[in-house]
Amino acid sequence: MKIDSQMAAFLQEGLPTHIATRNAQLEPSGARVTAIKVDADGEHVTVFLPAIAAPPLLADLRDNGQVAVVLARPIDERSCQVKGTFVESWTPTADEEVFAREQFERALASVERVGIPRVGSAAWQMWPCVAVRFRAEALFTQTPGPNAGARLP
Amino acid sequence: MTFCLERMASCFQGLIPATLYTCSNDGVPNVAYLSHVEYYDATHVALSFQFFNKSHQNILENPNALVRLVDPDTGQGWTLRLRYERSETSGPVFDSMALRIEAIASYCGLKGIFKLLAADVYEVVSAEKTLEETGAPEGTSWITGSRTSLDPVFTMRALQSLAQRIHQADSLECLLESILAALEEFFGFNHSMILLTGRNEGELVTIATRGYPNNGVGAEARFGEGIVGMVAEARKPIRISGLIRAMLYGQAIRARATEQGVTSLQHRIALPGLAQPESQLGVPLLVRSDLIGVLCIESESPYRFHEEDRSTVELLGSYVAIAIQNMMLKERVEAADAPPPTRQTNPEPRSANHPAKREVVYYRGDECVMVDGEYLIRSLPANIFWKLVTTRAAEGRMEFTNRELRLDKSLNLPEWKDNLESRLLLLRRRLEQKCPDIRIVPRARGRFALELGCELSLQERP
Repeated sequence: MKIDSQMAAFLQEGLPTHIATRNAQLEPSGARVTAIKVDADGEHVTVFLPAIAAPPLLADLRDNGQVAVVLARPIDERSCQVKGTFVESWTPTADEEVFAREQFERALASVERVGIPRVGSAAWQMWPCVAVRFRAEALFTQTPGPNAGARLP
Repeated sequence: MTFCLERMASCFQGLIPATLYTCSNDGVPNVAYLSHVEYYDATHVALSFQFFNKSHQNILENPNALVRLVDPDTGQGWTLRLRYERSETSGPVFDSMALRIEAIASYCGLKGIFKLLAADVYEVVSAEKTLEETGAPEGTSWITGSRTSLDPVFTMRALQSLAQRIHQADSLECLLESILAALEEFFGFNHSMILLTGRNEGELVTIATRGYPNNGVGAEARFGEGIVGMVAEARKPIRISGLIRAMLYGQAIRARATEQGVTSLQHRIALPGLAQPESQLGVPLLVRSDLIGVLCIESESPYRFHEEDRSTVELLGSYVAIAIQNMMLKERVEAADAPPPTRQTNPEPRSANHPAKREVVYYRGDECVMVDGEYLIRSLPANIFWKLVTTRAAEGRMEFTNRELRLDKSLNLPEWKDNLESRLLLLRRRLEQKCPDIRIVPRARGRFALELGCELSLQERP
């Protein structure tokens, strides 16, 4: 599948984002991610996963490769989930760090707009990160309502 | 088991959205935001199930799940490893979750559409602090500033002081004012209101408020509408935190439902009280099994009412309900012994600040009074007002007794629990607000005067 530019812009807007993996016993694991980036080809997605939370998720990804990422825009609850298969991971570059930090800042601002002040996240350890790339294979709408969970083209 | 779910009570307010992680039988993980996670018992939580979605399908196939919560007091994240056990469609936990959701739904015109299908009950296998979401030290709050847990001794003393105020009140008016003033003084609840059941079934009327620019006395709420109406309908307390976010969630559902052609959406109703309340706590005022009204407190802070506040206000509600009912009965008994009214007529000079003449129109069919083209009051207080002004015009007397009103068949008061005193208080407050030159002034127990600072032109219309 290919993520179009409009969807890519939504994904990279700066919104609260979470990643899910699972182990061999089909037990899920999850973490809040600092940022998400859609590759220029529209076929791959990179998430910046806080290093402190990364070990069990990376172990799952190396074991079976299955990954899901969800994000939501607090002001209108528009939400979607990307599912795919793990490709690689690496230590982010300085440019990637700037990209991720700026996006997380926007995510905090989006939450602040619905009355939740960002001071609570002051102690969160969202950096350093591990960059995790996966091939996007399916996109689903998660906006609350009767159509939640429907596959997007 | 090494965790203590009771200590995570703040996490279960839904202020910061929780995330639910599941996995299908064929090994595909899924993550979704969740509207409510509720404490069930020491080893279980209940998750809201509102739409049949992938998460629900997954847990039916594979019971392993994970939920992540953030404590709104400290910002500390918690990761709960879960195992799905069953779905409940009744019982106290289901009722509590359903009520909160329905209260929000009623604000968005989604009652019956945005609803709880089931409370999915999970065993909590483990609960650990989330590594990347490190919180502030315990006892501090980043949502409410310096808010820390209330000392139980302080709460008991505050309740004692409040009880003392209630005992000292010598009239219904004084009692209601004392209750709301004490809530502000002792607990810092700055915005509060008391509504009493109306003459019509399924209707509440605002009788006292505190902390609002417009006192709102006389405003009506129907059972099932908004938090006040939901509390009255269910006769159970409701607490909502982060109302703005909850309403955005509801509005998103409304938009999707409309897109899909789901009809029967009701009109939205205006929120009572604050223009943008973030937290609301409503408790029913019950005497035995009779609902006499609702006490509602509000705040512009997203997480103002903690678990202990809910318990305190709930306890207080029972006490306040009995106090209000006792006062209404006392005033009724005293009113029966009041001497007959005198024929004293209008002694007041006209006020320079108000019109010399007011036009009062009574619409008999609607039981509604308009003064100078503006709505004053309806229902029983409107009928009483019309009785007073027409009697005064016909007989020239300004004094009246509660007893004569009770005996007046045209007012159609119920023989028992007529709430006359509270309706007179309501009428008095509305007059103070809308036309202060028309006054109802208590003279003695069960006796009052209708004082005029203007001439009245009276018209009755069908």
